Amino acid sequence: MISVMQTIPATLASHAPAAAGAAHAPTAPGDSSAIWLILIPLLPLVSSILCGIYRAWGVTSKLPGYTTVLALAVSFIVTLTGYLSFGGAGVQIVHGFQWLNISWGEAHGQSLTANFSLYIDSLTWLWMLFVTGLATLIALYSTEYMSEDQKNGGYARYFSFFSLFVFAMSCLVMGDNLLLLYLGWEGVGLCSYLLIGYYYTKPAAVAAAKKAFIVNRIGDLGLALGMMLAFVEFGSLEFSEIFARVAEIQATVAAGGHVSWQIEAIPLLLMVGAFGKSAQLPLYVWLPDAMEGPTPVSALIHAATMVTAGVYLIARFLPLFALNPTSLAIVAWVGGLTALLAATIGMSQFDIKRVMAYSTVSQLGYMFLGLGVLTATGAAYHVFTHAFFKATLFLSCGAVMHGFAGQLDLRKLSGLRKLKGWGIVTLAMLVGCLCLAGFPFTSGFFSKDMILAEAFVTQGPGYQALGILALITAGMTAYYSFRVFFRVFCGPVEFHPSDDHHGDSEEEHEAHEDAEGHHGFHPHAPGWAINLVLMVLIVGSLAAAIPYFVDKENHGWVGGLVHDSTAGHLVLPTVAHGAEDAAHGAEAVAHGEGFWSDPHKWMYYVSGTIGFIGIGLAWLIHMTRRTEAATAPIADGLKNAMRPVSTWCERKWYVDEFYDIIFRYPLKILSHLFYLLDQLLVDGLVNFAGAVPRMLGRSLRPSQNGLLQSYAVGMGGGVAVILFIVWILL
Amino acid sequence: MIEKLAQLHPEIALFAATCIVMVLGLAKSSFWRGMSVWVTGLGLVAALVLSFFSPQTDGMLPNSLPYLKAMIAAIGLMILPLMGGTVDRWYERTVGRGASFDPLRVTRGEFYAFYLLSLMGVMLCVTADDLIWLFLALELTSLPTYIMVAMSTPRLRSQEAGVKYFFLGALSAATFLYGFAMLYGATGTTQLQDIAIHFRTEGMGLIGTLGLVMALIGVSFKIAAAPMHFYTPDVYQGAASPVSAFLAFAPKAAGFVVMIQLLSTVGWGWGEHGIALPEALRITLWVIAAITMTFGNVLALLQSNAKRMLAYSSIAHSGYMLVGLLVGPGQGPIAGNGLGAAMFYLLCYGVMNLGAFAVLACLEKRDEHGELVEIETVEDLRGLHAARPGLAWAMTLCALSLLGMPPLLGFWGKLGLFTSGISAGEIGLVVIMGLNSAVAAFYYLRLVRAVMLDTRDEDMDRPALTDMFGRRVAAGLSAVGVLVVVIWAGQLQAASDHATEVNPRIRQFNERVVEAEETPVIESIARND
Repeated sequence: MISVMQTIPATLASHAPAAAGAAHAPTAPGDSSAIWLILIPLLPLVSSILCGIYRAWGVTSKLPGYTTVLALAVSFIVTLTGYLSFGGAGVQIVHGFQWLNISWGEAHGQSLTANFSLYIDSLTWLWMLFVTGLATLIALYSTEYMSEDQKNGGYARYFSFFSLFVFAMSCLVMGDNLLLLYLGWEGVGLCSYLLIGYYYTKPAAVAAAKKAFIVNRIGDLGLALGMMLAFVEFGSLEFSEIFARVAEIQATVAAGGHVSWQIEAIPLLLMVGAFGKSAQLPLYVWLPDAMEGPTPVSALIHAATMVTAGVYLIARFLPLFALNPTSLAIVAWVGGLTALLAATIGMSQFDIKRVMAYSTVSQLGYMFLGLGVLTATGAAYHVFTHAFFKATLFLSCGAVMHGFAGQLDLRKLSGLRKLKGWGIVTLAMLVGCLCLAGFPFTSGFFSKDMILAEAFVTQGPGYQALGILALITAGMTAYYSFRVFFRVFCGPVEFHPSDDHHGDSEEEHEAHEDAEGHHGFHPHAPGWAINLVLMVLIVGSLAAAIPYFVDKENHGWVGGLVHDSTAGHLVLPTVAHGAEDAAHGAEAVAHGEGFWSDPHKWMYYVSGTIGFIGIGLAWLIHMTRRTEAATAPIADGLKNAMRPVSTWCERKWYVDEFYDIIFRYPLKILSHLFYLLDQLLVDGLVNFAGAVPRMLGRSLRPSQNGLLQSYAVGMGGGVAVILFIVWILL
Repeated sequence: MIEKLAQLHPEIALFAATCIVMVLGLAKSSFWRGMSVWVTGLGLVAALVLSFFSPQTDGMLPNSLPYLKAMIAAIGLMILPLMGGTVDRWYERTVGRGASFDPLRVTRGEFYAFYLLSLMGVMLCVTADDLIWLFLALELTSLPTYIMVAMSTPRLRSQEAGVKYFFLGALSAATFLYGFAMLYGATGTTQLQDIAIHFRTEGMGLIGTLGLVMALIGVSFKIAAAPMHFYTPDVYQGAASPVSAFLAFAPKAAGFVVMIQLLSTVGWGWGEHGIALPEALRITLWVIAAITMTFGNVLALLQSNAKRMLAYSSIAHSGYMLVGLLVGPGQGPIAGNGLGAAMFYLLCYGVMNLGAFAVLACLEKRDEHGELVEIETVEDLRGLHAARPGLAWAMTLCALSLLGMPPLLGFWGKLGLFTSGISAGEIGLVVIMGLNSAVAAFYYLRLVRAVMLDTRDEDMDRPALTDMFGRRVAAGLSAVGVLVVVIWAGQLQAASDHATEVNPRIRQFNERVVEAEETPVIESIARND
């Protein structure tokens, strides 16, 4: 019973009855009259505009924050109401308004329709529920976190971008055509850029924003090309039409037909876009740097929501990916390798926010691995649980940063749990780390296992090896997450505020330096908004495990949602695969008979054990014999013993340097060459092209001499010439 | 007769407002004189509302009344705040300081009355179904504008522009009236429908063709198209900026509507697929369109005077819209309706062009005699961003929209023209249009650079903001419109397409004749050769 997807009968027609739930054939979506669903994207947009107006008016109160929270909360409530009313009702198309409708002929493919309409199926609901829900919480958190910027107008700007992001994200997830998806895709990219560069006076933030934007551009090019190719091939950008065509192709494939290379190229191109947005190899380099933005932004955009857009894209178009097994194998391998690479880097970072950033990259890798091994359920469930626990982790880091004047170095913070007022933060961090580490019976445990187990049973190039790599990565994850927890929250109490983040004057700062111990620095414990949000998120992270036990036959609530969506309609191509499928089907049926034959069962134990080992190692290395914050004798000893390896990891595998050497320098040299060429040849041509209209203009200018008589002569002459031509023609 | 009257409700509303305004302008109390602009607005609002209830007609374009009249009234309403205070500003100040009021010295009432009359003329062009009516409506549009140009500023240059405009306008009127006469001579009727039927059954003949071509060339004066475009820069420069903005819309709208009416008499039932114009007309329009847009753009390129630049750009935009007229209503309901595209573009042009003129009208500087005059040159706009960010943004948005930058309004307008041109197979003309758009980018971007990027030299005196609030409102309306109307671009385009559907009865008639008589028209053309 391992997901219906792999054992599915060959055609959609015979598949449809097999799936649980209402009729959901993607070919026949119902037009919905529930126009109020349009409020979900609209309210954040309104809030964004309002915050922009507040900025122009110079509002310095918390009004922008509360406006945003209100708009997002209502948006969430609308989403929830919508889900409860239509959750099981198959595909809904809510027609917002006609946006683009261009045609240059009557035939199919000679018109371009892209309306502002929403394509809502269960996958959309899943995404929108956590996007709007988490956005509301994080906006509430930000009302307190960003309060220092109220005076200089940054507060309103922040919330304006924040709301705009939610608008763009909902366009991305809810759009009923590729163009609206692309609009949302670029929109979230823009908001990400604006928010990473929020502290635009800080060079590092500006550089990070630029890097994110440029690296994403490479991915977006892929998406744009994929979209264009899809239009050429399918004659439409609307999902309902595309999926209808995909179903046709699936039928021909099932009948032994071929998939044209153009169709096969579409998933490859879309994949590039997904790699960029979701920070996968080789385009992951922007995400760690994106931590220069305010922490709530890192939590929402760069951990919970935006970076899962790539997972959404692939899940949405999984039937298309299934037509090209190569693309799935690439997705799986890229995901697995990214997970491993990022985990090794995460093990050696000292900045706790960066550790979290690399862990995000690593977890996203798991999700891609899940998609590659065709468990959209596992991937979507991991997206769901990850959204909660990673938001928890980031917001805890944010609370630390907020309270300790920007200090994020785990060597300079220690024993926070013993400080007054930090209990909830400690608890949040603990719960987040447990989930991330895949501690048994936490939400992260179940979602990760689903992916790991699937890697062992799915047929594909080297998937077993990939499964083992993923298991090793799971151990590393447990290690680095608890490394942070033990270093920062346990052990002797000690803290140093960050150097660059003193509100006081320089002399005062010097004076503090001389003072013993904590330099007279008093950390301020988080206030109600931060604590409230953290508590909700703790509950959310833990409760995210519950859906696993709901609707067991579909592998949990999320599994049910995925089955009812477009990701549930897969057919693998080529006749050769048919045989494999049959074999695999037999294997899948065999699941659940013996203990060792069902990977889902033994994976609980294997990955649980590996998680324990990781946590134990972290405790051994970072807790025992530690007397002060900066030094953990075993850790330092180990580090010295394996210096080359640890330096290699600490310097992030020299990937940035590597990219410098293989891309930036050659590009620079090339650009100088092109510049020369440009100067000599192209500019000449361009100047020539520019000169032609000017010359034409100069020669015509005398006709405009301002004299009535000559104008009249010109007009009369013109009439005569035209009449003469017509006379000749007749 | 009664059903004809039902089509004229918006015009009647405008006429009523005209009468009131004319009297109000002479009122002794300055309050009532001030009311004239509000009454004008009220009349336009009434006309706008009434337009939506316009009935279907039996004419060439049976659905055209609501869309076109509403568009005319709406753009008229947008230009109105810009018009406020154009005339009588100094005289009112003198009166305000205690001088006695002399009704012979005020022109405000007449000014707004002419404004309304001119718009009424445009609407009458839409309703017209007869050559004589068409001629009168067209002249009703133009005659008030001649006077408005002359009285718009107290300077000699305005009067010179007015006189020039009048004489050349008379020349063009003579041209198209001659064309009308030839049409009557060829067909024996002035009813557009009867002309169409005559052309279909008897063939166009040499006189008919020449008459139509002459009428079209004559009307091209109104839309500032070659070869009748020479007056444009001089007149636009001479008139006050608000009046120039009005000239760039009202006569142009009238001209295009009349051209569509005239072209519909031949029906777009020719060519390979039965959707084109007769070859002679097609070539005429092709040449006019290509020359017009090229001429406008290359001369705008050399201008340092922003008003003249906008005048040339107005010529160029007429060239673009002519492409739509050349394409005609296209094959199906939506695909490639060139008339719809042109009428939608007219709306877009009305919105975005207003902003560019409004920004110029908002800024004043002292001329050599020490009097406050509206600024004109690109140089005066330099560094506007630092002093007046709102105006700078309005200018930027409007210039980018005029250039056709997505996602602004101008882009959607131009997109329709391009797609209709492609669907009709006019690839050559579309390429020329594309090249022209590229050339146009140069001078529009120069405006943008001047307001946003350049900085002002210290020794230059800063243009002052006008004290007329309405002008800023107009600039804001236009800038917001360029952004916001985009949301409804699809609906407006659809409405425009619907408005320009050719009467199906006439279409069927065309098809029947073609089938039954083996295209006698083409034979008759051959005979004449």
